Amino acid sequence: MSWYQMHRCVYDWVRAGEVNSAAGGEGRAGFDVTLYELTDDERKAFDNRDIAAFYNLGLHEVLLNRFCRAAGFARDDYRKILAPFGEKEERKARWQK
Amino acid sequence: MAEIVLAYCASHAPMMSSARMAAPEEQRNHFFGALDHIRDEAVARGVEACVVLSNEHYTNFFLENFPQLCIGLGEKNWGPTEEWLPIDKVWIPGHAGLANHIARHTLNAGFDPAFSHQLELDHGIMTVYYELDHDMKIPLVPIVQNCAVPPLVPVRRAYEFGKALGDAIRSYPGLQRVAIVGAGGLSHWIGTPRVGDIAEDFDRWFLERLERGELDQVLDLPDSELELAGNGAHEIRSWLAVAGAVEPARPRTLAYEPVYPWITGMAVAQWETSPEREQTSATVGAQDTRREESRT
Repeated sequence: MSWYQMHRCVYDWVRAGEVNSAAGGEGRAGFDVTLYELTDDERKAFDNRDIAAFYNLGLHEVLLNRFCRAAGFARDDYRKILAPFGEKEERKARWQK
Repeated sequence: MAEIVLAYCASHAPMMSSARMAAPEEQRNHFFGALDHIRDEAVARGVEACVVLSNEHYTNFFLENFPQLCIGLGEKNWGPTEEWLPIDKVWIPGHAGLANHIARHTLNAGFDPAFSHQLELDHGIMTVYYELDHDMKIPLVPIVQNCAVPPLVPVRRAYEFGKALGDAIRSYPGLQRVAIVGAGGLSHWIGTPRVGDIAEDFDRWFLERLERGELDQVLDLPDSELELAGNGAHEIRSWLAVAGAVEPARPRTLAYEPVYPWITGMAVAQWETSPEREQTSATVGAQDTRREESRT
């Protein structure tokens, strides 16, 4: 079971490039993905920055969004990549007439 | 004892900083005009410290340990963390006295907030805090809420926490004038095929419920229904906490703009907690109009 490892890998990679109180944001250059027990599909998704693959592997949406931003996608630029996986919403909410 | 002299909520899309000019000019002016008004009010009312609630976006916490609430107790906190967010990365002064008082008070009131002596603040708090104080000097008590990683606390629980939070602030003897701020929402989708959509009907419905004081219709929302306004809509928990903190006051919407380039329903609403100021605040719309006219 590698769901946790996939999340941990993406989280660590995103945070390694941020400007945290203890580090200056250069951590992604030396990031060692082999430290994580990823499946072949997860490793490919990471190496290829494959947004669609990560989505289908179940990466949490907030983490996927952060990964996209860190990988250079701006705003909703990854929408067209994910659009084929959208499903029509049939439910109605109380604010919808 | 402290008084809550300023209470407001604002959306916190990071693009309001990183892609500010991408928004249509009229929407941009309307949204930032409301925040300019808030900043002026903070100065006029002599805000000594602010408590800001916002979502935790996998910045401080990960799956080993993910608190529903965490209060920043430290003398300082760091932010913003995002390397691409064009706000200076600095140490933000905290207010340990107020923060510890809030932690103790809310624990005694039946809540179980986690605490941290050093939080890393992302766009969730920093975009809105920066608009409150460009110098980033007002002491800040950050409260991060889990609005993203299920299981989440029910929205009603966020409102109830806000009540305890408001009582905590008002019973703090170390300050006189405190602001409470909710940062997040309204409708938006992130990391899904619907990223970029905005549920304007939800946003207007939510703001109207707040203004009318018809909160039961909101507080009964199950997460499965709330998600029909986007996975980012869970961030209304920050708004509801502020609503609880200052009840029975009702807010006035200063701005609402569905800003598609920022992928978010962007709103600013203010609760008037100082009745003698209501008349003054009611002029904000006219002030904004004059500002628009002066540019043309």
